[in-house]
Amino acid sequence: MEPSAAPVRWWNGAGRMLWLLALALVAGSWWAAATYAPVEAQMGPVQKIVYVHVPSAIVTLIAFGLTFAASIAYLTTKQWRWDAVAAASCELGMVFATVVLVSGPLWARSAWNTWWTWEPRLTTFLILWILYAGYHVVRASLHSASRRTVSSVLGIVLFVNLPIVWKSVEWWRGSLHPRNVTMTGEMRETLLLSMAAWIVFYAAAMVSRLRLEWIREAAAERA
Amino acid sequence: MTLIDVAIKDIRLHARDARFLATLLLFSASLVLILSVAFGPIFQEPAREAAATLWAALFFAGVLGLTRSLDLEGESGGGDAVRLAGADPYSIFLGKTLANFLLLAAVFTLTLPIASVFFDVGDLPTLPTLVGVAALALLGYAAWGTLFAALARGLKARELLLSVLLFPSLVPLWIGAVKCTNALWAGGSIEPVRDWIKVMAVADVLGLALAAFLYELIQEASE
Repeated sequence: MEPSAAPVRWWNGAGRMLWLLALALVAGSWWAAATYAPVEAQMGPVQKIVYVHVPSAIVTLIAFGLTFAASIAYLTTKQWRWDAVAAASCELGMVFATVVLVSGPLWARSAWNTWWTWEPRLTTFLILWILYAGYHVVRASLHSASRRTVSSVLGIVLFVNLPIVWKSVEWWRGSLHPRNVTMTGEMRETLLLSMAAWIVFYAAAMVSRLRLEWIREAAAERA
Repeated sequence: MTLIDVAIKDIRLHARDARFLATLLLFSASLVLILSVAFGPIFQEPAREAAATLWAALFFAGVLGLTRSLDLEGESGGGDAVRLAGADPYSIFLGKTLANFLLLAAVFTLTLPIASVFFDVGDLPTLPTLVGVAALALLGYAAWGTLFAALARGLKARELLLSVLLFPSLVPLWIGAVKCTNALWAGGSIEPVRDWIKVMAVADVLGLALAAFLYELIQEASE
Protein backbone atom coordinates (compact mmCIF):
# COMPACT_ATOMS: atom_id res chain seq x y z
CA MET A 1 0.00 0.00 0.00
CA GLU A 2 1.66 3.23 -1.12
CA PRO A 3 -0.15 6.33 0.00
CA SER A 4 0.30 8.23 -3.24
CA ALA A 5 -1.43 5.65 -5.42
CA ALA A 6 -5.10 4.74 -5.61
CA PRO A 7 -6.01 1.20 -4.50
CA VAL A 8 -4.38 -1.28 -6.83
CA ARG A 9 -6.29 -3.75 -8.90
CA TRP A 10 -5.40 -6.88 -6.92
CA TRP A 11 -6.72 -5.25 -3.73
CA ASN A 12 -10.11 -4.56 -5.31
CA GLY A 13 -10.17 -8.07 -6.80
CA ALA A 14 -9.32 -9.65 -3.46
CA GLY A 15 -12.09 -7.61 -1.84
CA ARG A 16 -14.67 -8.84 -4.36
CA MET A 17 -13.61 -12.46 -3.89
CA LEU A 18 -13.80 -12.14 -0.12
CA TRP A 19 -17.27 -10.57 -0.29
CA LEU A 20 -18.55 -13.40 -2.50
CA LEU A 21 -17.08 -16.00 -0.12
CA ALA A 22 -18.44 -14.17 2.94
CA LEU A 23 -21.97 -13.89 1.57
CA ALA A 24 -21.98 -17.55 0.51
CA LEU A 25 -20.75 -18.64 3.95
CA VAL A 26 -23.23 -16.43 5.84
CA ALA A 27 -26.09 -17.73 3.68
CA GLY A 28 -24.84 -21.29 4.30
CA SER A 29 -24.61 -20.74 8.06
CA TRP A 30 -28.16 -19.34 8.16
CA TRP A 31 -29.42 -22.29 6.20
CA ALA A 32 -27.60 -24.66 8.59
CA ALA A 33 -28.97 -22.83 11.64
CA ALA A 34 -32.51 -22.99 10.27
CA THR A 35 -32.61 -26.55 8.99
CA TYR A 36 -29.50 -28.60 9.85
CA ALA A 37 -29.06 -27.77 13.55
CA PRO A 38 -31.71 -29.41 15.78
CA VAL A 39 -34.14 -27.36 17.87
CA GLU A 40 -32.93 -27.26 21.46
CA ALA A 41 -35.25 -29.12 23.84
CA GLN A 42 -35.61 -26.55 26.62
CA MET A 43 -35.36 -23.18 24.86
CA GLY A 44 -36.82 -24.02 21.48
CA PRO A 45 -35.99 -21.99 18.36
CA VAL A 46 -34.71 -19.01 20.45
CA GLN A 47 -31.55 -20.99 21.15
CA LYS A 48 -30.56 -20.42 17.49
CA ILE A 49 -29.56 -16.85 18.43
CA VAL A 50 -26.36 -18.47 19.60
CA TYR A 51 -25.27 -18.85 15.94
CA VAL A 52 -25.14 -15.06 15.63
CA HIS A 53 -24.30 -14.07 19.21
CA VAL A 54 -21.19 -16.19 19.81
CA PRO A 55 -19.54 -15.56 16.39
CA SER A 56 -20.16 -11.81 16.80
CA ALA A 57 -18.51 -11.88 20.22
CA ILE A 58 -15.49 -13.72 18.78
CA VAL A 59 -15.20 -11.24 15.88
CA THR A 60 -15.45 -8.33 18.35
CA LEU A 61 -12.47 -9.71 20.26
CA ILE A 62 -10.51 -10.27 17.01
CA ALA A 63 -11.32 -6.76 15.77
CA PHE A 64 -10.32 -4.96 18.99
CA GLY A 65 -7.26 -7.21 19.23
CA LEU A 66 -6.22 -6.10 15.74
CA THR A 67 -6.79 -2.47 16.74
CA PHE A 68 -4.43 -3.02 19.66
CA ALA A 69 -1.74 -4.66 17.49
CA ALA A 70 -2.05 -2.06 14.72
CA SER A 71 -1.88 0.75 17.27
CA ILE A 72 1.44 -0.58 18.56
CA ALA A 73 2.64 -0.95 14.97
CA TYR A 74 1.69 2.68 14.23
CA LEU A 75 3.47 4.04 17.29
CA THR A 76 6.65 2.15 16.41
CA THR A 77 6.68 2.74 12.62
CA LYS A 78 4.58 5.94 12.26
CA GLN A 79 3.18 4.64 8.96
CA TRP A 80 -0.35 5.84 8.18
CA ARG A 81 -1.48 2.39 7.04
CA TRP A 82 -1.29 0.99 10.58
CA ASP A 83 -3.45 3.80 11.89
CA ALA A 84 -5.91 3.05 9.08
CA VAL A 85 -5.99 -0.64 10.06
CA ALA A 86 -6.55 0.23 13.74
CA ALA A 87 -9.38 2.68 13.03
CA ALA A 88 -11.09 0.44 10.46
CA SER A 89 -10.93 -2.62 12.70
CA CYS A 90 -12.22 -0.64 15.67
CA GLU A 91 -15.22 0.57 13.64
CA LEU A 92 -16.11 -2.97 12.59
CA GLY A 93 -15.53 -4.20 16.13
CA MET A 94 -18.11 -1.67 17.30
CA VAL A 95 -20.67 -3.01 14.82
CA PHE A 96 -20.16 -6.59 15.99
CA ALA A 97 -20.14 -5.53 19.66
CA THR A 98 -23.53 -3.87 19.06
CA VAL A 99 -24.83 -7.11 17.53
CA VAL A 100 -23.65 -8.94 20.66
CA LEU A 101 -25.37 -6.41 22.93
CA VAL A 102 -28.65 -6.64 21.01
CA SER A 103 -28.74 -10.43 20.52
CA GLY A 104 -27.70 -11.11 24.13
CA PRO A 105 -30.85 -9.69 25.79
CA LEU A 106 -33.03 -11.51 23.25
CA TRP A 107 -31.46 -14.76 24.41
CA ALA A 108 -31.51 -13.72 28.07
CA ARG A 109 -35.24 -12.99 28.01
CA SER A 110 -35.86 -16.58 27.04
CA ALA A 111 -33.10 -18.35 29.01
CA TRP A 112 -32.85 -16.29 32.21
CA ASN A 113 -36.31 -14.65 32.07
CA THR A 114 -34.88 -11.13 32.06
CA TRP A 115 -33.71 -8.69 29.37
CA TRP A 116 -30.80 -7.44 31.36
CA THR A 117 -29.08 -8.47 34.55
CA TRP A 118 -25.94 -7.11 36.24
CA GLU A 119 -23.99 -10.21 35.51
CA PRO A 120 -20.16 -9.97 35.17
CA ARG A 121 -19.80 -10.59 31.46
CA LEU A 122 -22.77 -8.40 30.55
CA THR A 123 -21.46 -5.58 32.69
CA THR A 124 -17.87 -5.81 31.49
CA PHE A 125 -18.98 -6.08 27.86
CA LEU A 126 -21.17 -3.00 28.18
CA ILE A 127 -18.23 -1.11 29.68
CA LEU A 128 -16.10 -2.27 26.75
CA TRP A 129 -18.71 -0.97 24.31
CA ILE A 130 -18.84 2.44 26.01
CA LEU A 131 -15.03 2.69 26.03
CA TYR A 132 -14.66 1.92 22.34
CA ALA A 133 -17.50 4.34 21.57
CA GLY A 134 -15.31 6.90 23.36
CA TYR A 135 -12.43 5.95 21.03
CA HIS A 136 -14.52 6.98 18.02
CA VAL A 137 -15.69 10.21 19.65
CA VAL A 138 -12.11 11.19 20.47
CA ARG A 139 -10.88 10.26 17.01
CA ALA A 140 -13.67 12.19 15.31
CA SER A 141 -13.12 15.32 17.36
CA LEU A 142 -9.39 15.55 16.60
CA HIS A 143 -8.35 17.00 13.27
CA SER A 144 -4.75 17.85 13.94
CA ALA A 145 -1.66 15.78 13.26
CA SER A 146 -1.99 14.35 16.76
CA ARG A 147 -5.09 12.36 15.82
CA ARG A 148 -3.21 9.24 14.83
CA THR A 149 -0.99 9.17 17.88
CA VAL A 150 -3.83 9.88 20.30
CA SER A 151 -6.06 7.18 18.77
CA SER A 152 -3.20 4.68 18.83
CA VAL A 153 -2.53 5.35 22.50
CA LEU A 154 -6.26 4.84 23.17
CA GLY A 155 -6.24 1.65 21.08
CA ILE A 156 -3.59 0.27 23.45
CA VAL A 157 -5.03 1.58 26.72
CA LEU A 158 -8.58 0.37 26.04
CA PHE A 159 -7.38 -3.13 25.16
CA VAL A 160 -6.68 -3.72 28.86
CA ASN A 161 -10.42 -4.34 29.28
CA LEU A 162 -10.57 -7.22 26.80
CA PRO A 163 -8.98 -9.86 29.04
CA ILE A 164 -11.31 -8.69 31.84
CA VAL A 165 -14.37 -9.41 29.64
CA TRP A 166 -12.89 -12.75 28.58
CA LYS A 167 -12.05 -13.90 32.10
CA SER A 168 -15.00 -12.29 33.91
CA VAL A 169 -16.95 -15.55 33.87
CA GLU A 170 -14.18 -17.29 35.82
CA TRP A 171 -13.17 -14.42 38.09
CA TRP A 172 -16.56 -13.50 39.47
CA ARG A 173 -18.81 -16.00 41.08
CA GLY A 174 -22.49 -15.84 40.23
CA SER A 175 -22.02 -15.55 36.50
CA LEU A 176 -24.90 -16.79 34.40
CA HIS A 177 -22.79 -17.12 31.26
CA PRO A 178 -21.77 -20.73 30.68
CA ARG A 179 -18.04 -21.47 30.93
CA ASN A 180 -18.29 -24.25 28.41
CA VAL A 181 -21.22 -25.67 26.58
CA THR A 182 -21.96 -29.22 25.59
CA MET A 183 -23.45 -29.36 22.13
CA THR A 184 -24.52 -32.10 19.81
CA GLY A 185 -22.50 -32.71 16.64
CA GLU A 186 -24.85 -30.78 14.34
CA MET A 187 -25.03 -27.83 16.71
CA ARG A 188 -21.26 -27.63 17.04
CA GLU A 189 -20.77 -27.90 13.28
CA THR A 190 -23.30 -25.13 12.65
CA LEU A 191 -21.63 -22.92 15.26
CA LEU A 192 -18.20 -23.49 13.71
CA LEU A 193 -19.57 -22.69 10.25
CA SER A 194 -21.18 -19.51 11.58
CA MET A 195 -17.90 -18.46 13.19
CA ALA A 196 -15.99 -19.01 9.94
CA ALA A 197 -18.71 -17.12 8.01
CA TRP A 198 -18.62 -14.03 10.24
CA ILE A 199 -14.83 -13.98 10.41
CA VAL A 200 -14.65 -13.98 6.60
CA PHE A 201 -17.38 -11.32 6.56
CA TYR A 202 -15.25 -9.20 8.89
CA ALA A 203 -12.19 -9.72 6.66
CA ALA A 204 -14.18 -8.65 3.57
CA ALA A 205 -15.50 -5.56 5.32
CA MET A 206 -11.96 -4.73 6.47
CA VAL A 207 -10.67 -4.86 2.89
CA SER A 208 -13.44 -2.50 1.75
CA ARG A 209 -12.96 -0.16 4.69
CA LEU A 210 -9.19 -0.04 4.14
CA ARG A 211 -9.78 0.75 0.47
CA LEU A 212 -11.72 3.81 1.59
CA GLU A 213 -8.87 4.92 3.86
CA TRP A 214 -6.48 4.35 0.98
CA ILE A 215 -8.51 6.58 -1.35
CA ARG A 216 -8.80 9.24 1.37
CA GLU A 217 -5.06 9.25 1.94
CA ALA A 218 -4.34 9.48 -1.79
CA ALA A 219 -6.79 12.38 -2.09
CA ALA A 220 -5.24 14.16 0.89
CA GLU A 221 -1.77 13.74 -0.62
CA ARG A 222 -2.87 15.21 -3.92
CA ALA A 223 -4.64 18.17 -2.31
CA MET B 1 13.68 19.15 37.18
CA THR B 2 12.64 16.08 39.10
CA LEU B 3 9.20 14.64 39.67
CA ILE B 4 9.09 16.32 43.09
CA ASP B 5 9.67 19.73 41.44
CA VAL B 6 6.84 19.07 38.98
CA ALA B 7 4.54 17.99 41.81
CA ILE B 8 5.43 21.06 43.92
CA LYS B 9 4.78 23.35 40.95
CA ASP B 10 1.33 21.80 40.39
CA ILE B 11 0.41 21.92 44.07
CA ARG B 12 1.49 25.55 44.24
CA LEU B 13 -0.74 26.35 41.26
CA HIS B 14 -3.68 24.67 43.02
CA ALA B 15 -2.93 26.39 46.32
CA ARG B 16 -2.88 29.84 44.67
CA ASP B 17 -6.34 29.25 43.29
CA ALA B 18 -8.15 28.88 46.62
CA ARG B 19 -11.48 29.78 45.06
CA PHE B 20 -11.31 26.73 42.81
CA LEU B 21 -10.45 24.41 45.68
CA ALA B 22 -13.34 25.78 47.73
CA THR B 23 -15.71 25.26 44.78
CA LEU B 24 -14.45 21.70 44.36
CA LEU B 25 -15.15 20.87 48.00
CA LEU B 26 -18.52 22.57 47.92
CA PHE B 27 -19.37 20.55 44.82
CA SER B 28 -18.51 17.20 46.41
CA ALA B 29 -20.28 18.20 49.66
CA SER B 30 -23.46 19.09 47.78
CA LEU B 31 -23.33 15.76 45.93
CA VAL B 32 -23.17 13.94 49.27
CA LEU B 33 -26.00 16.09 50.61
CA ILE B 34 -28.26 15.49 47.58
CA LEU B 35 -27.71 11.73 47.66
CA SER B 36 -28.21 11.48 51.42
CA VAL B 37 -31.52 13.34 51.07
CA ALA B 38 -32.48 11.02 48.18
CA PHE B 39 -31.64 7.88 50.20
CA GLY B 40 -32.95 9.17 53.53
CA PRO B 41 -34.33 10.09 55.93
CA ILE B 42 -34.38 6.46 57.07
CA PHE B 43 -31.49 4.59 55.48
CA GLN B 44 -32.03 0.97 54.49
CA GLU B 45 -28.35 0.07 54.42
CA PRO B 46 -26.44 3.17 55.61
CA ALA B 47 -22.95 1.68 55.11
CA ARG B 48 -23.66 0.67 51.53
CA GLU B 49 -25.41 3.89 50.59
CA ALA B 50 -22.74 6.05 52.23
CA ALA B 51 -19.90 4.15 50.52
CA ALA B 52 -21.48 4.55 47.07
CA THR B 53 -22.20 8.24 47.71
CA LEU B 54 -18.70 9.01 48.96
CA TRP B 55 -16.99 7.45 45.95
CA ALA B 56 -19.41 8.94 43.42
CA ALA B 57 -18.76 12.40 44.87
CA LEU B 58 -15.00 11.82 44.76
CA PHE B 59 -15.16 10.71 41.15
CA PHE B 60 -16.99 13.78 39.87
CA ALA B 61 -14.96 16.21 41.95
CA GLY B 62 -11.83 14.45 40.72
CA VAL B 63 -12.74 14.91 37.04
CA LEU B 64 -13.05 18.65 37.62
CA GLY B 65 -9.71 18.72 39.43
CA LEU B 66 -7.92 16.77 36.70
CA THR B 67 -9.06 18.98 33.84
CA ARG B 68 -8.35 22.09 35.87
CA SER B 69 -4.73 21.09 36.50
CA LEU B 70 -4.13 20.77 32.75
CA ASP B 71 -6.01 23.97 31.93
CA LEU B 72 -3.86 26.00 34.30
CA GLU B 73 -0.80 24.77 32.50
CA GLY B 74 -2.25 25.39 29.06
CA GLU B 75 -3.18 28.99 29.86
CA SER B 76 0.26 29.97 31.10
CA GLY B 77 2.39 27.88 28.75
CA GLY B 78 3.74 26.07 31.81
CA GLY B 79 3.95 22.75 29.99
CA ASP B 80 6.54 24.09 27.56
CA ALA B 81 8.47 25.71 30.42
CA VAL B 82 8.64 22.42 32.31
CA ARG B 83 10.01 20.67 29.24
CA LEU B 84 12.52 23.48 28.63
CA ALA B 85 13.66 23.11 32.23
CA GLY B 86 14.81 19.63 31.29
CA ALA B 87 12.18 17.43 32.89
CA ASP B 88 11.82 14.07 31.16
CA PRO B 89 8.29 12.82 30.33
CA TYR B 90 8.51 10.15 33.01
CA SER B 91 9.14 12.73 35.76
CA ILE B 92 6.42 14.99 34.38
CA PHE B 93 3.89 12.17 34.45
CA LEU B 94 4.83 10.95 37.92
CA GLY B 95 4.98 14.51 39.27
CA LYS B 96 1.55 15.30 37.89
CA THR B 97 0.16 12.02 39.20
CA LEU B 98 1.56 12.82 42.65
CA ALA B 99 0.04 16.32 42.61
CA ASN B 100 -3.32 14.97 41.43
CA PHE B 101 -3.17 12.28 44.09
CA LEU B 102 -2.64 14.90 46.80
CA LEU B 103 -5.49 17.01 45.42
CA LEU B 104 -7.81 13.98 45.48
CA ALA B 105 -6.59 13.09 48.97
CA ALA B 106 -7.51 16.60 50.13
CA VAL B 107 -11.00 16.26 48.66
CA PHE B 108 -11.32 12.82 50.29
CA THR B 109 -10.19 14.15 53.70
CA LEU B 110 -12.88 16.82 53.65
CA THR B 111 -15.68 14.78 52.06
CA LEU B 112 -15.30 11.78 54.37
CA PRO B 113 -16.50 13.55 57.56
CA ILE B 114 -19.46 15.00 55.68
CA ALA B 115 -20.53 11.54 54.44
CA SER B 116 -19.92 10.07 57.91
CA VAL B 117 -22.12 12.67 59.57
CA PHE B 118 -24.95 12.66 57.03
CA PHE B 119 -25.21 8.86 56.91
CA ASP B 120 -24.11 8.27 60.51
CA VAL B 121 -21.48 5.68 59.59
CA GLY B 122 -17.82 5.01 60.36
CA ASP B 123 -15.74 4.95 63.53
CA LEU B 124 -12.16 5.64 64.56
CA PRO B 125 -10.84 2.03 64.76
CA THR B 126 -11.64 1.39 61.07
CA LEU B 127 -10.23 4.74 59.94
CA PRO B 128 -6.61 3.61 59.27
CA THR B 129 -7.80 0.74 57.06
CA LEU B 130 -10.17 3.08 55.25
CA VAL B 131 -7.32 5.52 54.62
CA GLY B 132 -5.28 2.63 53.17
CA VAL B 133 -8.14 1.62 50.86
CA ALA B 134 -8.60 5.24 49.80
CA ALA B 135 -4.87 5.61 49.09
CA LEU B 136 -5.00 2.57 46.82
CA ALA B 137 -8.10 3.80 44.97
CA LEU B 138 -6.96 7.41 44.63
CA LEU B 139 -3.48 6.45 43.43
CA GLY B 140 -5.03 4.48 40.59
CA TYR B 141 -7.46 7.32 39.92
CA ALA B 142 -4.60 9.82 39.77
CA ALA B 143 -2.55 7.62 37.39
CA TRP B 144 -5.39 6.77 34.97
CA GLY B 145 -6.80 10.27 35.32
CA THR B 146 -3.51 11.99 34.48
CA LEU B 147 -3.11 9.73 31.44
CA PHE B 148 -6.63 10.37 30.12
CA ALA B 149 -6.55 14.07 30.95
CA ALA B 150 -3.39 14.41 28.86
CA LEU B 151 -5.07 12.51 26.01
CA ALA B 152 -8.19 14.69 26.16
CA ARG B 153 -6.21 17.94 26.32
CA GLY B 154 -6.82 19.14 22.78
CA LEU B 155 -10.50 18.22 22.71
CA LYS B 156 -13.69 20.19 23.00
CA ALA B 157 -15.99 19.14 25.85
CA ARG B 158 -13.13 17.35 27.56
CA GLU B 159 -14.84 17.08 30.96
CA LEU B 160 -17.57 15.10 29.24
CA LEU B 161 -15.13 12.91 27.35
CA LEU B 162 -13.00 12.39 30.39
CA SER B 163 -16.02 11.07 32.27
CA VAL B 164 -16.97 8.78 29.38
CA LEU B 165 -13.49 7.27 29.02
CA LEU B 166 -12.19 7.47 32.55
CA PHE B 167 -15.14 6.08 34.48
CA PRO B 168 -15.35 2.72 32.66
CA SER B 169 -11.57 2.30 33.01
CA LEU B 170 -11.82 2.92 36.73
CA VAL B 171 -14.63 0.44 37.32
CA PRO B 172 -12.40 -2.21 38.99
CA LEU B 173 -10.98 0.44 41.33
CA TRP B 174 -14.36 1.94 42.10
CA ILE B 175 -16.14 -1.33 42.79
CA GLY B 176 -13.23 -2.31 45.03
CA ALA B 177 -13.31 0.98 46.91
CA VAL B 178 -17.08 0.86 47.43
CA LYS B 179 -17.02 -2.81 48.51
CA CYS B 180 -14.15 -2.28 50.99
CA THR B 181 -15.68 0.92 52.43
CA ASN B 182 -19.03 -0.81 52.80
CA ALA B 183 -17.44 -3.85 54.49
CA LEU B 184 -15.52 -1.60 56.89
CA TRP B 185 -18.52 0.50 57.85
CA ALA B 186 -20.95 -2.40 58.06
CA GLY B 187 -18.78 -5.09 59.64
CA GLY B 188 -15.59 -3.39 60.80
CA SER B 189 -13.28 -5.48 58.61
CA ILE B 190 -12.33 -5.84 54.94
CA GLU B 191 -11.73 -9.58 55.33
CA PRO B 192 -14.87 -10.65 53.34
CA VAL B 193 -13.83 -8.56 50.32
CA ARG B 194 -10.08 -9.09 50.56
CA ASP B 195 -9.76 -10.09 46.87
CA TRP B 196 -10.77 -6.60 45.80
CA ILE B 197 -7.59 -5.18 47.36
CA LYS B 198 -5.62 -7.32 44.88
CA VAL B 199 -7.82 -6.14 41.98
CA MET B 200 -7.22 -2.52 43.01
CA ALA B 201 -3.47 -3.04 43.31
CA VAL B 202 -3.37 -4.58 39.81
CA ALA B 203 -5.37 -1.64 38.41
CA ASP B 204 -2.91 0.79 40.06
CA VAL B 205 0.16 -0.94 38.65
CA LEU B 206 -1.44 -1.23 35.19
CA GLY B 207 -2.37 2.46 35.15
CA LEU B 208 1.09 3.59 36.25
CA ALA B 209 2.90 1.26 33.83
CA LEU B 210 0.74 2.09 30.80
CA ALA B 211 0.95 5.81 31.46
CA ALA B 212 4.71 5.70 32.03
CA PHE B 213 5.18 3.95 28.66
CA LEU B 214 2.79 6.14 26.71
CA TYR B 215 3.10 9.59 28.28
CA GLU B 216 6.02 10.65 26.09
CA LEU B 217 4.03 9.85 22.94
CA ILE B 218 0.99 11.78 24.16
CA GLN B 219 3.20 14.73 24.97
CA GLU B 220 4.77 14.66 21.51
CA ALA B 221 1.32 14.49 19.94
CA SER B 222 0.04 17.54 21.80
CA GLU B 223 2.96 19.74 20.72
